[in-house]
Amino acid sequence: MSRDLNPDQPLLEVKDLHVGFAADKKTVVPAVIGANLTVYPGQTVAIVGESGSGKSTTAHAIIDLLPGTGRITGGQILFEGQDIAHAKKSDIVALRGSSIGLVPQDPMSNLNPLWRVGTQIKESLEANGVAKGKAADARVVELLEEAGLPDAARRAQQYPHEFSGGMRQRALIAMGLAARPKLLIADEPTSALDVTVQKQILDHLDRLTDELGFAVLLITHDLGLAAERADHLVVMYRGQVVESGPALEILQDPQHPYSKRLVSSAPSLASQRLSSVQARAEVREQAVQTAAEIAAEVATHDDELGEGRGTIIEAKDLTKVFKIRGSRPGQSTDFTAVDQVSFQLERGTTTAIVGESGSGKSTVARMVLGLLDATSGSVEFDGVDITTLRKKEQQLALRRQMQPVFQNPYASLDPMYSIYRSIEEPLRLHGVGTAKERETKIRDLLDKVSLPASVMTRYPNELSGGQRQRVAIARALALDPEVVICDEAVSALDVLVQAQILTLLNELQSELGLSYLFITHDLAVVRQIADHVLVMQNGKVVEQSTVSEVFENPREDYTRMLLDAIPGGSIPLGVVEAGDDV
Amino acid sequence: MWWYVGKRLLQAIPVILGATFLIYMMVFLRPGDPIVALFGDKPVPEGTYQALREQYHFDQPKIVQWLLFLKGAVTLDFGTSFSGQPVIDLVQRAFPVTIKLALMALVIEAVLGVAAGFYAGMRRGKLFDSTMLVVSLLVIAVPIFVFGFVLQLIVGIKLGALPALVSSQATFRELLLPAIVLGLVSFAYVLRLTRTSVIENLTADHVRTARAKGLPDGQVNRRHVLRNSLIPVVTFLGADLGGLMAGAVVTEGIFNVPGVGNLAFDAIRRGETPTIVSVVTIMVLVYVLTSLAVDLLYAWLDPRIRYA
Amino acid sequence: MPDGRPSKTRPGQERYVARLEDTPLHDVGALDTTAPPESQWKEAWKQLRKNPLFLISAALILFLAVVIAFPGLFTSNDPTFCRTGKSLRPAEPGYPLGFDRQGCDVYSRMIYGARASVTVGLLTTLIATALGLVVGAVAGFYGRWIDSLLSRVADIFYAIPLLLASIVLLSALNSWFPDRGFWASVLAIVLALALFGWPQVARIARGAVIETKQQEFVDAARALGATPRRNLLRHVVPNSLAPVIVTATVSLGIFIVAEATLSFLGLGLPTSIVSWGNDISAAQNQVRAGQRLGTMFWPAGALALTVFSFILLGDAVRDALDPKAKKR
Repeated sequence: MSRDLNPDQPLLEVKDLHVGFAADKKTVVPAVIGANLTVYPGQTVAIVGESGSGKSTTAHAIIDLLPGTGRITGGQILFEGQDIAHAKKSDIVALRGSSIGLVPQDPMSNLNPLWRVGTQIKESLEANGVAKGKAADARVVELLEEAGLPDAARRAQQYPHEFSGGMRQRALIAMGLAARPKLLIADEPTSALDVTVQKQILDHLDRLTDELGFAVLLITHDLGLAAERADHLVVMYRGQVVESGPALEILQDPQHPYSKRLVSSAPSLASQRLSSVQARAEVREQAVQTAAEIAAEVATHDDELGEGRGTIIEAKDLTKVFKIRGSRPGQSTDFTAVDQVSFQLERGTTTAIVGESGSGKSTVARMVLGLLDATSGSVEFDGVDITTLRKKEQQLALRRQMQPVFQNPYASLDPMYSIYRSIEEPLRLHGVGTAKERETKIRDLLDKVSLPASVMTRYPNELSGGQRQRVAIARALALDPEVVICDEAVSALDVLVQAQILTLLNELQSELGLSYLFITHDLAVVRQIADHVLVMQNGKVVEQSTVSEVFENPREDYTRMLLDAIPGGSIPLGVVEAGDDV
Repeated sequence: MWWYVGKRLLQAIPVILGATFLIYMMVFLRPGDPIVALFGDKPVPEGTYQALREQYHFDQPKIVQWLLFLKGAVTLDFGTSFSGQPVIDLVQRAFPVTIKLALMALVIEAVLGVAAGFYAGMRRGKLFDSTMLVVSLLVIAVPIFVFGFVLQLIVGIKLGALPALVSSQATFRELLLPAIVLGLVSFAYVLRLTRTSVIENLTADHVRTARAKGLPDGQVNRRHVLRNSLIPVVTFLGADLGGLMAGAVVTEGIFNVPGVGNLAFDAIRRGETPTIVSVVTIMVLVYVLTSLAVDLLYAWLDPRIRYA
Repeated sequence: MPDGRPSKTRPGQERYVARLEDTPLHDVGALDTTAPPESQWKEAWKQLRKNPLFLISAALILFLAVVIAFPGLFTSNDPTFCRTGKSLRPAEPGYPLGFDRQGCDVYSRMIYGARASVTVGLLTTLIATALGLVVGAVAGFYGRWIDSLLSRVADIFYAIPLLLASIVLLSALNSWFPDRGFWASVLAIVLALALFGWPQVARIARGAVIETKQQEFVDAARALGATPRRNLLRHVVPNSLAPVIVTATVSLGIFIVAEATLSFLGLGLPTSIVSWGNDISAAQNQVRAGQRLGTMFWPAGALALTVFSFILLGDAVRDALDPKAKKR
């Protein structure tokens, strides 16, 4: 592609940009404060930050699509030397699509469900005067093929709901590139997708960048991903740019305390790899010891389930078949969500179940918890088959001894319950202690999860995601369980918070001798928390081994693919000391 | 899809049976003898009395009367009215008038409601929006017969712009004023629904994406905001047809429209069971069929919906 | 790692590190302990208090409550004291709105008429909401055949148009009790309207319960050992109330209008009872004749203002309770 662009002339310059959201008539809440960044033609620049850092707001300000009451309150946005922050609306509309393209974040909500995918791409071609009518239809198919969508001619005739997430993201990429923009803003383009799909799509986008020579402004929360894909990094924190420079340099030698934190917390990065193995071994040693003491005690108690075995949970040939109703009455197809899954969880250790969406990992967790009946197979808790528990006392005892922590800290606490009532609920349900004893217990639990006692009177909506997850953990620990089942317990959290919660889970394990069943899609996290791993795909276990075996010596292709897809895994080790938390 | 239609029609059977049964029981709650009531103060000749009792099955247990009605209804024999005419004839004469009236009201409320609601939603918080909100609230708050009288007086009588009463011909022009009155309340609901829906869609991710690809505002608003906002509105409009036919009881009374509303109201006053039950059964049928039609329409409007 | 690309830094892309003083780090887990704790309801209340629509409607409803409780504060005239000699006479001192056809005082009838109309609306709403909430919650929560059964039953009542059904029922009830007093006639209307009004609430409640029961906190409570009943009563229903409350507030207004319509059709409250519906209905002949429009305007206006207030209140409550509306 030949372009009249001087490669030494910046394509985009953001200078001292301020963006604010009007909360009411008088107050403006700043979202971006004095941000600077420069993008050269053909270059990939990444803005990295957590939620609320202002990274997406910066991106939206550039194409003048700030949501709600958002306004640019100061600074300049120069595109090819022209200030577009203060340009006429019609000029910006002319720029969109043809000069600046956008690939949005969530592929599920960014296509209009009522129009065919091809039609939506065609709109882009026609609006930017690239092609019309039949010619545009042909071009749509070419674009979809270029974005890596097989069978493009048929696919163009389909509606978005007939596409998978990865396919929709490809369609959005085709749409963003339809009018051959000079700059493509990719706003978390793959964060809603499975890691393997994420890698395919980013690789493809890289190839297109090289072929077509457009510049990319990549917005991401994932430092590893940013470093792997971009030449230049801009780290944002609370609306400000805290550090920027060449990607590798920042990763290996972060200067600002915030960047240091980010680098040391990113689970995928090399710095983390070294320390976690050792730390994990220490945790396990301590936990197994404590757990053995507890097991000896359990064996002597009548009102508790189990015999104090070393293997606390054993799943045998666990299978779940869902009936999917067909279009005719009485007609249904079987869908095997979990197929003959067997595993053991040893007391005081962590077994992780890793898989992508649709692998059946969460279904396994729900069956182990007794929230879902298994079609066949059994789950033994400390030698007792829980699928056949009939007596109410036994069922309640099982609930006491095994507790869940769910994925979404925003949904797993009843919004109408104060934190005190939330944590008290299990104690009440099981008739534990007097009101006074319960309060002492709750204070103690909050202390264990490092929350001040003052949160007791608060409500979930006043807490951050990390704090809510701590409350959920405190609630899970209220009945002194032996097993905690964490279903994607850290995946909804920002990196720094995720690191803190993982540390907390490790501490609690060594202190209380807990056994964890840890469900996750993120293989990178596994190293920090688990001892054994099950890799699941399409309801089946494809590989089962110790953590070190899986990471160092993966036997199956699928496991290898998952490992390769961890962003940032290939980046050479930096000089930062892990745990250098400022 | 035919399986779905079949399933829905099967589900409709208990609803129709239940609804007619309910109406039968309510009519029988009325005290006194309907035949005696029919003759007013005059004494009823013994022979005639017995003949009428048998003709209307009043000598049978109530549940049998209901079953006999159902048996007849299947063959479109709805019995005879007290004046001796077959009910089906009365209904056949009145029904087209009411359908015409209800459809006119539906078109008026749909066109005006969607237009005003879309415009208000696009200019949220501006003068037009606030005015429309107040207007819609007022329309809902004032009983419909008050509007009926006022419009009849001003448009029909004082200005003479439209006929104030409807003749037995029930022409389009004559029905215009009653249709406006009948559609008024639903116009307010359509307006509010469209407005809410437009406001919601304006912030949708896919609308932002449509803007990001360089589409001019007009196209974004038409193809992405309005198109998507119409789905709940269409659902409402479909379900509203039944409501409009019931509302015709009031409107038809004011404008003297020879439709089912008037027919039903007169029958209720006289306690004329066959006519009441027939009209209500037909209205229930209209409701069941329109809601099925709306569901099918929904699938056509929204490709995500596939019937299983 | 992108290799083969020029690694020299270009203008605008030099290494930059912000000064720590300008970009201070915040504790990740910091908790704002200065603000008082707030439940969802408290927060909604705080938002309501700032909403002018809420303030207007709440003030109107409060005023209405005073009128109903102490009508004597607003007029010393007896609404049932009518003199044919005053028929359709204009306003005079002590009678600011003139007289109706029977020669009764329009103003005092407007004041006293509030009681019947609002009582009907309030009671109907209470019964229809309670019934609809129970049926909808049970159907939505337990699902399966219970849902199918209850949904069909609701369909039967929903399929007969509200107005038509209540006309049929009332025409029967009224002939049983020709000389009924205030409460008997009010209760008859309430029964007729509530019997066919609850399916609407049930639909809303069912939808809300189905949405709530899929939330993770319901699963969490189950895993803690909560029984389904406890889960329904303690977690699911309280979290599904918001849309039901909004529907109830709006339908209160709708039921008041329905009562007036029934009175207009001659099936509402007996004419011996002072009510807005009766007065509007009685005024129809004057309007047809185009004389003394005030006889209809005042009771109709009072009724409209009342209904208006309740619908406005419903709107304001929805804005405060709907988390989606809050974000905008």
